[in-house]
Amino acid sequence: MTHLALRLDPQDDVAVVLAATPAGGSVQADDGAVVVTARATIPIHHKIALRDLAEGEALRRGGIVIGQTTASIIKGDHVHTHNLRSLRAQPNSRSMK
Amino acid sequence: MIHTAPIEGSQAGLSGFARHSGAVGVRNNLVILNLTGLSEMAARRASAAVPRSVLVSFPYGMGLVGEDLAAATRLLSGIAMHPNAGAVVLVSADRTRLEEISAKLEREGRAFEGICIDDVAHDSGALSARIVRAGARLAQAASTLHRTPFSLGDLCFAVECGLSDPTSGIAANRLIGEFSDRVISAGGTVIMGETLEWLGVEKVLADRAASPEVASAILTAVARREAMAQRAGVDLLGVNPNRRNIEEGLTTIEEKASGAIAKSGNAEIQGMLAHGEAPAGPGLWLMDQPSYSPESLTGFASAGAQIALFSTGSGNSYASALMPTIKITANAQTAKRLDTQVDFDCSELMAGGDIDKVTDRLLTHVAAVASGMLTFGEIMGEGSEAFSRFGATL
Repeated sequence: MTHLALRLDPQDDVAVVLAATPAGGSVQADDGAVVVTARATIPIHHKIALRDLAEGEALRRGGIVIGQTTASIIKGDHVHTHNLRSLRAQPNSRSMK
Repeated sequence: MIHTAPIEGSQAGLSGFARHSGAVGVRNNLVILNLTGLSEMAARRASAAVPRSVLVSFPYGMGLVGEDLAAATRLLSGIAMHPNAGAVVLVSADRTRLEEISAKLEREGRAFEGICIDDVAHDSGALSARIVRAGARLAQAASTLHRTPFSLGDLCFAVECGLSDPTSGIAANRLIGEFSDRVISAGGTVIMGETLEWLGVEKVLADRAASPEVASAILTAVARREAMAQRAGVDLLGVNPNRRNIEEGLTTIEEKASGAIAKSGNAEIQGMLAHGEAPAGPGLWLMDQPSYSPESLTGFASAGAQIALFSTGSGNSYASALMPTIKITANAQTAKRLDTQVDFDCSELMAGGDIDKVTDRLLTHVAAVASGMLTFGEIMGEGSEAFSRFGATL
């Protein structure tokens, strides 16, 4: 069974899964162009990596950089707080004010 | 002429009320605009006595200074001149304020009557009776106006979101963004506000600004509110995304904010408006304003927006009194559960539906509403307006 995910922009590094997806599940982007295998359980509306990313890379969703990876990410990984952080809400950016 | 078929915007075209100012009204309401707190209850009783009148009440009086005074002047003038008003009864306990607003309506050739509490020697019961009689006369005169054809490019839309969930950012707001792009290519106007919702993606918005001045105004507006929150001891970056957002899959403030600003589509940003300020021309505009929906919508109404597109995830009943407020959800459960609140169900986008087709369907729906089809907010009487305060009263 293939699970559908939304890729909001063709350049996006991640897609948002539209149903809870088990590890090993096949995930297809809504434009049909990308198929990945989930490497972990992905809860509904969470993000799955569509390509490999190195640690420290900017990550795009919806055509917008939504943060920086804090670990290397492999295509099919669940992308969330354990491997992505905000570039805006960092402790040092707050103390600059 | 008797209409026997439902209004179909796409077939019949848009029709509305041409005002002398050149703006088009999508409604022809009798508006009872109360200008002072002292006269509010008289205005409220009168509005209850004139079915279908729309009451907008400003609850403050003297002692407004600085930003509050500027905003009050802007908001009350903007609302008095709203294109969806076919006629206005102004009610006031302050003659100066009444005369200021009356002069503006007179210059625009609008149908109105102004009543000051002095006129009835401070007798509140007599004031109510005067408002009712004036309202009845004006409503009858307004009912002789009729709709004429107009185009999408004649309209100004407000875009708003409230009680969002994961479906909002990835589906409903994107749909509003697509719609916004189409309005702007047709020569129309769109306003997005709720400044704090841009926090995290303000640079993305600044990159879309028409000029360096506009880019700078966007960054300044966000920084000013962030500093305001910090002074009040609120750490916006620390609490966003919140725990529920994170459980639902949002990882960073940038991601959360990108869902909110998806409502603005991809157009160039023409300028930054003060709360309640009317845009100087067509295109996409931002409004620097409070993020709470009732206050935010009143700012858009004052700016002259005729219709609001309002996305929600778990449901939100609030509507503007002056702008038909089209409730849009991509959450299938919400659409089903709140079927007399949600005007437009776009939940097929959460199942891989084609956004262009859904945008076509939304255009048809909006055209029908613009041409007279009532929103559930109008039918259920959920409309109100809320006036922001920025500082202390003297």
